[in-house]
Amino acid sequence: MTGTDQSSFLGRISIRRNQVNAMEGYHEQEIEDLELFQKQLSDRFAELLSAPDDAPTEAFLSISWIRKLLDVFLCCETECKAILLMERDAAQISKPPLDRLIPELLERVVKAMDICNAATNGVELVRHCQKLAEIAVSALEQKPFGEGQARRAKKALVSLMSAMHVDDKESSVQKTAERSWSFGRRSGNKDRHHGHYRSLSWQVAKHWSASKQIHAMTMNLAAPRGPEASCLPAPVYILSLIIVFVMWVLIAAIPCQERSGLTTHLPINKHVNWTHSLAGIHDKIGEEWKKKEKKGMAGLLYEMQKMEKLGQSLIEFTDSYQFPGEKEKLDEVAAQVAELAEVCRRMDEGLVPLQMLIREAFHRLVRNRTEFLDVLEQGAPVV
Amino acid sequence: MDECQSAIPAHDGDLHVVAAAHHIVKALGTTKNLSDDLRKILIDLDAHLSLITSNIDSKGGKGFVEVEERLKRVERKIVIWESDRIMIWDSGPKEASDYLEAVDEVQTLIDSLRGLSMNENQKQKELLHRASSLLQMAMSRLEEELIHMLVKHKQQSEPTYIPSPSSQRNVVYNESVVSLDNESAKEASSKNSCSDECGEYIVDLVPEHVIPDIKSIAKVMFASDYGQEFCEAFIGVRKEALEQHFDILENGKLSIEDLLKMEWCSLSTEMNKWTWSMKIIFGVYLMSEKRLCDQVLGEFGSVNSFCFLEIAKTTILCLLNFGEAIAMGPQEPEKLLRLLDMYETLADLVIDIDALFSEDGGSFVRLEFHKLLEGLADSVKAAFNAFGVAVSSNGSLYPFPGGGVHPLSKYVMNYISMFPEYCSTLNLLLEDQHSDVASLVSEPQCGPTASLSTSCPMACHLRSITSSLESNLHKKSKLYKDEALQHIFLMNNLHYMVQKVKGSELRPFFGDEWIRKHNAKFQQHEMNYERVTWSSVVLLLKDDNPGSSSLSKSTFKEMCKGFSIAFEEVYKNQTSWCIPDPQLREDLRISTSLKVVHAYRTFLGRNPAHVDDKCIKHTVEDVEKLLFGLFEGSPRSLRNSRRMMKT
Repeated sequence: MTGTDQSSFLGRISIRRNQVNAMEGYHEQEIEDLELFQKQLSDRFAELLSAPDDAPTEAFLSISWIRKLLDVFLCCETECKAILLMERDAAQISKPPLDRLIPELLERVVKAMDICNAATNGVELVRHCQKLAEIAVSALEQKPFGEGQARRAKKALVSLMSAMHVDDKESSVQKTAERSWSFGRRSGNKDRHHGHYRSLSWQVAKHWSASKQIHAMTMNLAAPRGPEASCLPAPVYILSLIIVFVMWVLIAAIPCQERSGLTTHLPINKHVNWTHSLAGIHDKIGEEWKKKEKKGMAGLLYEMQKMEKLGQSLIEFTDSYQFPGEKEKLDEVAAQVAELAEVCRRMDEGLVPLQMLIREAFHRLVRNRTEFLDVLEQGAPVV
Repeated sequence: MDECQSAIPAHDGDLHVVAAAHHIVKALGTTKNLSDDLRKILIDLDAHLSLITSNIDSKGGKGFVEVEERLKRVERKIVIWESDRIMIWDSGPKEASDYLEAVDEVQTLIDSLRGLSMNENQKQKELLHRASSLLQMAMSRLEEELIHMLVKHKQQSEPTYIPSPSSQRNVVYNESVVSLDNESAKEASSKNSCSDECGEYIVDLVPEHVIPDIKSIAKVMFASDYGQEFCEAFIGVRKEALEQHFDILENGKLSIEDLLKMEWCSLSTEMNKWTWSMKIIFGVYLMSEKRLCDQVLGEFGSVNSFCFLEIAKTTILCLLNFGEAIAMGPQEPEKLLRLLDMYETLADLVIDIDALFSEDGGSFVRLEFHKLLEGLADSVKAAFNAFGVAVSSNGSLYPFPGGGVHPLSKYVMNYISMFPEYCSTLNLLLEDQHSDVASLVSEPQCGPTASLSTSCPMACHLRSITSSLESNLHKKSKLYKDEALQHIFLMNNLHYMVQKVKGSELRPFFGDEWIRKHNAKFQQHEMNYERVTWSSVVLLLKDDNPGSSSLSKSTFKEMCKGFSIAFEEVYKNQTSWCIPDPQLREDLRISTSLKVVHAYRTFLGRNPAHVDDKCIKHTVEDVEKLLFGLFEGSPRSLRNSRRMMKT
């Protein structure tokens, strides 16, 4: 989806509305707009679904894939709002069933804002993992390699694993109380290698649960039927579904507070053409989640998964390493280290922009809500 | 070191040169008054030269004897601590500096060993390996010492001198316009402010004397390429410390959803906490944290700003999101003062925020807070407008009993009397809406001759609000069936407004002209009241034939009776009316009395023949006394009053 595609679509609606407003056949034109919009949606999600499972770049659920998903979300949001609000009389928005559907949409929007904030925080944890992995990489890349480097790498990797497997039910408050920096640490030699601890605070209310939010967002979310399917309730449904879906993916991919039961069924109407790929992505992530959920994990983000796998393998290596080591084994490890370094590099490039994009989505949701409220409350049309 | 490598001698003749150089270096090393840097260079050079010698020796089979000896020596120094249960820095400065020296030595040995070519020399490889392992052991230990040090001193430096928000917070104006009707509004509310006490207030998050120790660890860890480990450990402890401070400020971690649904009273408390936390977190903790990062890490390039951002980020996001939630919420009029507090706090801090996060990595923090400031500015404007709308649209179904000062008047006047404290902010934010309002408020003060204080945007908005209040009061006065009571009500409320303006900071914004005009207004209502109530009563005493000397007894009796009935009727009605202001009440009683008693006395005086108890129900004194019992707000019956008077 390029910028020009979108501006031409928005231009189309704007011109159409201006020209045809008073004429007959207005409804037909609207149906046509909606169909074009759904066609574009379908294409965009098909592209996302077709991402390879394992690839150095652009893999399914990778950082760049999620950035793409957020781009799609931002586009859809703009276009959906254009269909709903552009050049439209406010009276149309405030009559049934929209007088019920729009406030429901806005409640979802508010919940989505909290999810965006939780995800922004979750990215911080991923960045912490990146820093630890970078330490391991720099130790493992040392030439000549010896036990000192192996121990250095191991320490970082062990910290990495414990940071990754942080229980998402655990709140920072408990964590702080439980952990002690142990002044009496010298008494037992074992816990001397406590690793690099980074306090993990979700910065949200204690009772807040990501999966409950998603569940609440799906309430009353049903595809419009019959004649409603081709008029204003349709874009409201599309926008709602996309918001819920994108938030659901964010929670599945990025560490987040309380995610048990995330496989909640999203009410995707599979009888409509445009949702085919969306449902495909939903199923694929759902499957993946089921496989991993029990183990307790940092999320389905491709880079994190990769990091976890490589990390574990490298811990095994550092455990059994004895100077000077076999050449064959060292070559094998060198390949893994290169791979881990590549993952770190992609995180280094992608995580901050991802965080910014999530923040942008957040601000977009805020604006979206204000615009709808303006229409609802002041009865003035939004241009 | 590369140059040194190429300098490894090939001939015996060169060997002598190396040996001579070595001697010179050793001799120089014994000189007492050498600078630290120079001594270090000599030690390095010494190590290097001895390596070259031993490298040559090894060809003869002896091996790196001297290097190995040195390695063994430092190994003992480092390994001995591994089994010790006491932290090195807790043991004493001597132990700490010895340890650091040992680590330096390991690093020097490693550098030298690395500097030599690795031509299949097994011994050299082995030594390097041993040294690297030793270095790792030491680094791991230093990291531990660092964490221990930071945690130990973090807890000791818990600031106790910062006053809590509860001791600072003044009476909060929590009442809303909508919820009041016939309920008295709270009198005073004061700006929640502590800007003077705690502007930029840098504290020692870690005691001054510990900083050199932390720095010494940083120095050696960075020199050995363990900078990342140092940063992770440092960030970990400091981040947690900051979050603990944040928790102490009692910031409930609330979702946006929670905040949007929150009752006004709790929300107001949260808004106060935010204002307070922003001042403490940015003005005190982050300022101090930044200094600490600069002190400890300033020498190592850009890591100090990286670490600072990592430490601060989550706490900042938390504060930011609260601000966003408030800025997006519905802007009800009662939020205005708290929003102004939030806006002013952030506006004051924005320069500090820009300075704290001046590097590239922090640009998003700067950007977000500037965005939030704009959002809060819009919120203030929206709440201000909502306040204006609420003032003009506050409706009542029933007349306010007694015609006293309406709660709306009290609420509005008390509320706006807080505005002068926010004068410069309001002037700034209301500037763009200024011209509309200025033209609406047709007070002469807005003209070209006006003084600065009466023509500023806030002044015009204030007068626009009071003029909305006036028109609303006029609407409310129409609910009284009794025209006289309408005048009492308006007189009371206008008088109240004037008093509030005169007795507060509002005065310069309204100006003397406004006060004169409004004095005249309530005096007009006072006169109207007298006219409407008493003119007809006094008229009953008027002689139709002023020419004749006296009235007939029956006419006199008739007139007396008529007057009594009319007077009692008024009395019965009006004792329940209320003029809360004692001065105003007194004035009105006097002027009423002048008019009525005077007329009555004249009437009786002109007909002395007919004056007897049978004819006259009320004496002049009775009437006078009864009139002075009016407007107390408590209904009285005439019988009670009479009895009371007789006793």
